[in-house]
Amino acid sequence: MTRYHGVEVIEMTKNLLPVALLVTAAAACGPPASPPPGPSDAAALPSGGTVVIGLLSDVQGWNPYLADDLDTAQLLALVYPTLAIEQPDYHRHPPSFAPALARAWTWSDDHLVLELELDPRARWSDGVPITARDVVFTWEVQTSDDIDWLHSDAKGSITAVEAVDDHTVRASFSRVYPYQLMDLNDGPIVPAHLWSSIPFADWRDTDWLPRSVAGGPFRIAGHTPQQQITLERNPGYWDAPLPALDRVVFRIAPSEQSLVNQLLAGDIDVLPSLPPADLERVRAHPGIELVIYDDRSYTHLCWNTTDPRLADPAVRRALTAAIDRQTLVDVVYGGFGRLGVGPILSSFWAFDEGLEPAPHDPAAARAGLAAAGWSDSDGDGVLDRAGEAFTIELLAAAENELRQDIALLVQADLARVGVAVEPRFVEWGTLVAAVDAGDFDGVVNRWEEPTQIDLEGLWRTPAPDEPTFNFGRYSNAEVDRLLDEVAGLADFAAQRPLYHRIQRLIVADQPYTFLVENTRLTALASRIRGAEINSATPYFNLERWTVGREPAR
Amino acid sequence: MRRLVARRLLLLAPMVWLVATLTFAVVVAAPGSYADAVDHPGLDAAQREALRARYGLDQPLHRQYLSWLGAVLRGDLGVSFVTKEPVTRLLGRALPPTLLLGGAALLLDFLLGVAVAVAAARRPHGWFDRVSTVVGLGVAGLPSFWVAGLAVLVFALLLGWFPASHMLSAGADRMSGGARLADLLHHLVLPAACLGLAGAAGTARYLRAALLDIRSERFILAARARGLSERRVLWVHTLRPALLPAITLLGLSLPVLVSGSVVIETVFSWPGVGLALLRAAQARDLPVIMAITMLGAVAVLVGSLIADLGYAAADPRAREDLR
Repeated sequence: MTRYHGVEVIEMTKNLLPVALLVTAAAACGPPASPPPGPSDAAALPSGGTVVIGLLSDVQGWNPYLADDLDTAQLLALVYPTLAIEQPDYHRHPPSFAPALARAWTWSDDHLVLELELDPRARWSDGVPITARDVVFTWEVQTSDDIDWLHSDAKGSITAVEAVDDHTVRASFSRVYPYQLMDLNDGPIVPAHLWSSIPFADWRDTDWLPRSVAGGPFRIAGHTPQQQITLERNPGYWDAPLPALDRVVFRIAPSEQSLVNQLLAGDIDVLPSLPPADLERVRAHPGIELVIYDDRSYTHLCWNTTDPRLADPAVRRALTAAIDRQTLVDVVYGGFGRLGVGPILSSFWAFDEGLEPAPHDPAAARAGLAAAGWSDSDGDGVLDRAGEAFTIELLAAAENELRQDIALLVQADLARVGVAVEPRFVEWGTLVAAVDAGDFDGVVNRWEEPTQIDLEGLWRTPAPDEPTFNFGRYSNAEVDRLLDEVAGLADFAAQRPLYHRIQRLIVADQPYTFLVENTRLTALASRIRGAEINSATPYFNLERWTVGREPAR
Repeated sequence: MRRLVARRLLLLAPMVWLVATLTFAVVVAAPGSYADAVDHPGLDAAQREALRARYGLDQPLHRQYLSWLGAVLRGDLGVSFVTKEPVTRLLGRALPPTLLLGGAALLLDFLLGVAVAVAAARRPHGWFDRVSTVVGLGVAGLPSFWVAGLAVLVFALLLGWFPASHMLSAGADRMSGGARLADLLHHLVLPAACLGLAGAAGTARYLRAALLDIRSERFILAARARGLSERRVLWVHTLRPALLPAITLLGLSLPVLVSGSVVIETVFSWPGVGLALLRAAQARDLPVIMAITMLGAVAVLVGSLIADLGYAAADPRAREDLR
């Protein structure tokens, strides 16, 4: 198994160390370093009230270690505490952390042992203190074979988590790398006093809602399956100030269209991800504000590099040059989105600033294809070579209209240089199975990137017959060598030039046509104040949100 | 009659088995599975492989099928891949909303259908008959997702008369019993109207035709000759025999009553069986898809049996045919 967050070996760096120390020092001095707006701002605004957030799917149960999806984990992060809170600063360096349940931490000189000091005020909502026992129990949960937590790989370099005393935890690592704290922090702390009596083997048959208890700012107040989840302020929340909101209601609807309707009808206050197609409708509506920010995702065309027609990088570069991506951004994304450049998003610290998006140049595309031996010998408007027409099947998910629109625009652009594209829209599961088996020419896809840079899964030469997300079976020995090299480096500043070289090699090879770095549009009712929306976590500072006038609901 | 019922009930099990087996074959034959459809961009290929193993999706198809069939024969419908709860509990929760919506729609369908048919049959080819024919054909012919979308746009977004979706308001848990009931009925109006109107158009067309047929029967002439009022002739002597096709229609509506309308429940986020089926299909949640398909098959078979029995109870001629 490879690891969830990706990069294999990176070490603690000189550059990161001051950040960690700064955070630790700040924690020792008082309130957490980062959370704007501060308590004084929040106190100036009216407190109480309810915020209603639109969700596309219900939770997969109430135990964060048994769910397979992302929504459940993100929602339960409001209920169960984490040791530290990841900060949205991945564009400058690997993410730093602010104190949470762990109010301070210190590293051993060799950086293999981390000692965390838990906040002695921390309490579960039933009054029981949150102690080192809970942290150690959580570690046992995370690494249990019976539970088989999907992200247990994040713990692969942690050799032990022990309680020194009630409020001190010691974590030992087998190696030094910049994401040690991130990996330790992955997964919320769960209550040993309530959950440890249930054998791990029985966890999947257990109803967890009655056993829920809160250690975070909110507690579970109700759940109507497929309709709504209600959280309310945890009155025993130990980390002052208490959340201003009385309640946070998650309304579940099966389609984006339904959520947009509810937003416009005033039934929901927050739509975390607004489809670009609905932008104008929402923008024209009074009382709704839009927050526009970089998403950690990019949409691309993945080419099957094992296909003889697509194996030549020059041909793939020509295909990219033929596609007018700016028009695509304007038409499909309503102008929101940046032209894709390469395998590392331009908002990440490791991005090579010297790289520019490939230009739209149909003449160069025609020349490139001609140089590769493609010509229209029979005058039918479609290029051919050795009697074979240049016809590509382009897959897109049938559930995703946006990607279908992209496929149609690509079809039109490539037709202008003599390449015939046959779009094929299939159900998502079918699409994944087809690309998994290598049974495709090209596919419109989107990757969401974790804040740990991970180039292993997508760009390393895949082993035959092993599951891989390198669907196009891209292979470049120099990229593989550089990936090995970067994994052996401790210093992220030293990794940066290697990442730059990897990006340049991949951009030159164009195994993907990097179409768009996505922008996320979050719609918020204007009555919400103090919301910090960013692409690190969806509900980043919900405990500090306040609302103005309560609408009639 | 008893033999008919016994014969039909005996057929029920093999028919349900056949439908379920075909559904199983179609679902597993489609490429991909729950492990591929799970919505988690952070999962890598190996983690998806682990998911396949966890839910038995890496097993050969015949083994998956036999293990599913064995469990069903033991009365175990399995556990939902998505919600991790027994499918029976999931269905038990989804059925009441579907019954409520389907029941309200059926009531509207029947009452409105009868009223329009009677009004139209009073003066065949009169202005009401013509208008109701055109409107009825239009309503019955329009796709339900379009009608429902238009209803949301006009009555929820533009006029603000009804909620755009869901069964209860976000704050319903803090309402009193009466207010909660009113809130529920308020939410019920639009989806029930969208579901019921198309049915009412069909019912009205069938019933109008039957009423006109019966008006020319000799027993109607005889009723008139006895000096009965036109109202009595219409409501009693004409309508009763004309309702016979409606019994069949109602029987055939039973499947919608229990298996729900995927389109209407999806547009209105109504937490019934139809929405559960859509969710399960999107997520490739095999145990749930299978259970709802079997429920639908049973509903179709039982519905047609009820229609036959109802018809036989109402019409002695049908009783003879079914003997």
